[in-house]
Amino acid sequence: MSGAVARIMRGNTAGLLFHELRLSWRALLARSGGGKQGLVIAVLLIGGLGIFAGVPLGLFLRNYQPPVSRLPIILTDLALLAVASLMISQTLSSATESLYQRGDLDLLFTAPIAPRKTLAARFMALAVTVFMTFALMATPLLLPVALIGHPSWLAFYLVLAATALGASAIGLALSTLLFRLIGARRTRAVAQFLAAIIGAGFFLVSQINTLFGKSQAHGIWAQAKALAMDEHFQLPPGADIPLRALLGQPQVLLGYTLGAVALFFGISTWLGNRFAADAATASGADTANAPDRVHVARWETSAFRATFRKEVRLLWRDAALVSNVLLRTLYIIPLAIIVIRSAHGMDGFALAAGAGGLVFMAGQVAGTLAWITVSAEEAHDLLAGSPTSQVVFRRAKLAAAYLPLIAFLSPFMGYLVWASPMVGLFAIIGCTSAAFACGLINIWFQKPSKRKDFRRRKGSSWFATLAEAVIASMIGLATTLAILGTPWAAVPGLIAAGLLVMLRRSDAQIAQAIED
Amino acid sequence: MVDALVVRDLNKSFKAPAVSGLDLVVRPGELYALLGPNGAGKTTTLRMVAGLLAPDSGTISVFGIDVLKDPLAAKRIIAWAPDEPMLYERLTPLEYLEFVAGLWNVPPDLAASRAEDLLRTLGLWEDRNRRCEGFSRGMQQKAALAGALIHDPRLLILDEPLTGLDAAVARQVKDLLQARVAAGATVILTTHILEVAERMADRIGIIQRGRLLAEGTLDELRAQTAGRGGTLEDVFLELTGDHGATRTSNL
Repeated sequence: MSGAVARIMRGNTAGLLFHELRLSWRALLARSGGGKQGLVIAVLLIGGLGIFAGVPLGLFLRNYQPPVSRLPIILTDLALLAVASLMISQTLSSATESLYQRGDLDLLFTAPIAPRKTLAARFMALAVTVFMTFALMATPLLLPVALIGHPSWLAFYLVLAATALGASAIGLALSTLLFRLIGARRTRAVAQFLAAIIGAGFFLVSQINTLFGKSQAHGIWAQAKALAMDEHFQLPPGADIPLRALLGQPQVLLGYTLGAVALFFGISTWLGNRFAADAATASGADTANAPDRVHVARWETSAFRATFRKEVRLLWRDAALVSNVLLRTLYIIPLAIIVIRSAHGMDGFALAAGAGGLVFMAGQVAGTLAWITVSAEEAHDLLAGSPTSQVVFRRAKLAAAYLPLIAFLSPFMGYLVWASPMVGLFAIIGCTSAAFACGLINIWFQKPSKRKDFRRRKGSSWFATLAEAVIASMIGLATTLAILGTPWAAVPGLIAAGLLVMLRRSDAQIAQAIED
Repeated sequence: MVDALVVRDLNKSFKAPAVSGLDLVVRPGELYALLGPNGAGKTTTLRMVAGLLAPDSGTISVFGIDVLKDPLAAKRIIAWAPDEPMLYERLTPLEYLEFVAGLWNVPPDLAASRAEDLLRTLGLWEDRNRRCEGFSRGMQQKAALAGALIHDPRLLILDEPLTGLDAAVARQVKDLLQARVAAGATVILTTHILEVAERMADRIGIIQRGRLLAEGTLDELRAQTAGRGGTLEDVFLELTGDHGATRTSNL
């Protein structure tokens, strides 16, 4: 340990915060799967985006000063609302993990440090992690724009940090409330569901016209513009605070920041003692688990059926995973509805593009599920030691992965086949091909590990994820072009097939990769 | 009678040799304890016997079946229970046994009755509908053991089966293993608890650096140390040359 680190790590709040941030950073590196290589790629991507998109944008906006008027105020408020909702979703999900599941609170609470300090550091680390996520995403565009002519816009970072503090406080309060109402085990499940729904909520609201509107879809821009033009609509008091703070008006910025800091410290102090008690309860909660409903045994004589049943059970019982899938499937809904409405109105291009998007999303969802069923295996040796071919396990695991997707897409596909048989047929072929291709990639690049390590796509190789995205998008494009009736559909189709052939791994190669 | 396990000139290297020219014979119906210091190659050897790891060279035969040539046939009569229970936290013990019975194609009626017997014998019947995630280490180990026994294996291989178990659970497991041996099954186990091997094993093999150092009953092993060893621990330390323990006791 270096002298500087040793000085920090003296059991004070700063030291504990450093410890928490270091754990978060390492978890992020582990999730990216690439270690230092992944970090270099991320830096290159951010740098490249900054140079090729941020700088031109900065030059374009160099002399632009946004007025503090109704439209910019509404747009800023909506954007901040979206960011805050995503931040709350992230906090809700991480709070249950770091406070109730990581299992190191016993160690920290037995140390001669006030629990108040430990929890304050952990709360603060949550907020910092949330802030960093969004700051990293915004930096490539914002930093060049601020440096080229708008230095006061650097206030964005302070506004973002304040928003992260406020959102984290709300997320922490929500998770404590859930814990008090429904107990530790259900809190984990419900928090994951809530996080998914809040995360997708803003997207779905933005698509409300697509879902329920007339034939023409309106985006956020059009809705905000209409609202700004509506003379009967009165902006609530203080609606201009976020915009003024973002533009760097000192008093407003100070007020916004101090308000968020007060909210955060108020809630975290108020919650501190409750969290300590809850965390202590949570650490013993698993041993007091209630029995599942009385089970009627169904003894299988086929390894395929036994494995399929096991995988379906485990999928269904993994709340974190189900919420992950739910989040992804929620994004399919607007696409599916566009396709159905276009089929009904026979809008050729929207129909073809929507079907292509649907195929892409089907591939992504299938890939996520296949990654979990194939690689998240707690008893790999049990399967390897059984007198059953690995092919049987793979088929059963893929079948279990496809089941939720089939259940979800079947009604849409059924309607599409009825409304426009040819489009329906192409969409079914596209979705099946994309799901099959992404499933195969997850078999070839499997990394067996414990299921509890798979709350997100932890451990997945970035290469496999990229390959899935490229192949699913190629199949989606082929579907779009096929529906439009052009023979060029064969080109992306052949590219996808070629990529699959290049990526293919034999059983021996898979086994070798697992052993390595 | 065909031997339960015959290992000939078995070799496996990772970065360094883990198993080097190992020869081993286990007779049917005996409880064989494979002992050795940490890193001696015990687990590697047993994983190769269970068909989980391919050897670099050598042969392995289980009841006359070549494990390398016909692994599926061999796996039908083997059960492997590692030190870390192979369980699914979100399944109940009954669901786990359903799954394992399916893998070994155990007929449903037989599987149901065996599952009930095993869960009752191991004291898990009342917990059959609780998910394993809330189980103590001992309960998890017992559930995993029930899974290993559901297909009534002829050769049961256990790696450190008693690690982390309290006295009562350890007794249950030992009784069950002895009952299996009495019923004609062959059991091979590794353990660092030498008293267990001393009391339970028909024969003991001591392995070090991937080679078999000595093998036989406790009396035969004592004879190999020219009478210097009294307990199995003395014999073990004498044979493996691990006098660190003696030196530590002098501190």
